[in-house]
Amino acid sequence: MVGVALTAETGRTPGTRPSRRLRRTGRVPAVMYGKGADSLTLSVDQADLRAALATEAGANALITLEVAGARQLSIIKDLQRHPVRREILHVDFLRIDSDDEVDVEVPLLLTGEAKKVTQASGMVDQIIHRLPVRAKSADIPVEVVADISDLEVGSSLRVGDIALPDGVTVAGDPEATFAVGLITRSTKEYLRQLAQAEAESEMAEAADSGDETAAGAADES
Amino acid sequence: MLMPRKVQHRKHHRGRTKGVSKGRTEVTFGDYGIQALEPGWITSRQIEAARVAMTRHIKRGGKVWINIFPDKPVTQKPAETRMGSGKGNPEHWVAVVRPGRILFELSYHDEPIARAAIARAIQKLPVKARFVSREAS
Repeated sequence: MVGVALTAETGRTPGTRPSRRLRRTGRVPAVMYGKGADSLTLSVDQADLRAALATEAGANALITLEVAGARQLSIIKDLQRHPVRREILHVDFLRIDSDDEVDVEVPLLLTGEAKKVTQASGMVDQIIHRLPVRAKSADIPVEVVADISDLEVGSSLRVGDIALPDGVTVAGDPEATFAVGLITRSTKEYLRQLAQAEAESEMAEAADSGDETAAGAADES
Repeated sequence: MLMPRKVQHRKHHRGRTKGVSKGRTEVTFGDYGIQALEPGWITSRQIEAARVAMTRHIKRGGKVWINIFPDKPVTQKPAETRMGSGKGNPEHWVAVVRPGRILFELSYHDEPIARAAIARAIQKLPVKARFVSREAS
C-alpha cells in the first residue's frame, strides 16, 4: 500500500464563508476523526493534497498527517468535489492504526474476454465498479481483478467468487452480483431490423429472378 | 416519449434555476456519460432524440441509461390569442437540469465509438454539455 505524508494546519474557522475564503488562498478545508478521539477541523494545501491523491492507490493511499507536530496515520474517508470544476472542496480523514482492519472501496477491474457473450452480440454489464473490502492498512490492494472469460449471456458472477489477495476479505454481501452477460433491448431491436432488411432484400432478388425467367419464357414462345 | 403517468398538479410555475446540481453528478452505471455544463430545460423529445442518436451510432453491444426524467409540464397559449383568460394548456414535458448533472450514461467497449456517439447525442441537447468518463467524473 502506498504511503504519503501531508501537513495539516489546525485552527481554521468552520462554516461556509470562512471555508470559501480558505479555498481562495489555495487550501482545502478538512476534518479528522476516529479512534475515539475528538474530531479536529483542519486545512491542507491543495497542491499537496492533489499530489497525495495522484499515487497508484488513488483515494485509498495511507496518509501520514502531521498536525501540530504530531503524526497520525489516516485514510481518506470522504472526498467532496465541485460537480463541474472537479476541484476538491472538503476532505474527511479517518484515524487508523497500522494493526487495525479498515473497510475501504477498491476499484474492481474485469479481465479476459467473455467470448460467449460477444459472439451472441451481447455485452458484459459491470454492476459493481468499486468493491468494498476489509483489510489491514498495509494489505489494502490498489485494485481487485476478476476474470470474466467464463461468462455467458443470461449468467452472472458473484462477489464471493473473486480471488482476493491474502489478508483481504469482502466487506459487503458476498452473494452480490458484480457482472452480468446480457443482450440489451437496443441490440435486440438492431438485430431484428437487420434480419428484416435481409429478408426484404432476398424477397426482392427472388422477385427479380422470377421476372427474368418469365420474360425469357415469353421470348422463346 | 417519456412523461409522467399521473400528476398531482397539471400546471406548474416556471421557477428559477440557480446553482449547481445537488446530486447525480458522477457516472454511476455506465463507463461514460454526458454532463450538463449550464442550467436548462430538456424536453422529452430532445431526450428521445439524444437516446436514438446514441443507440443508432453504437449499433450493438452497448447500453444506454437515461438519468433525467421530464416531470415538469410546460404550458402554451394558442396562437393569436388575447392575453388573459388564465394559464395556457399543457403542451410538453421537460426535465430541469443544473450544471454538473449527468444526463445520460453509456456502457460500450470501444471508447472512440462511445465518444462519437455521445458527441452526436450532445448535438440534440439545448444545453452545453461535455463527455465524461468514470475515472474523470
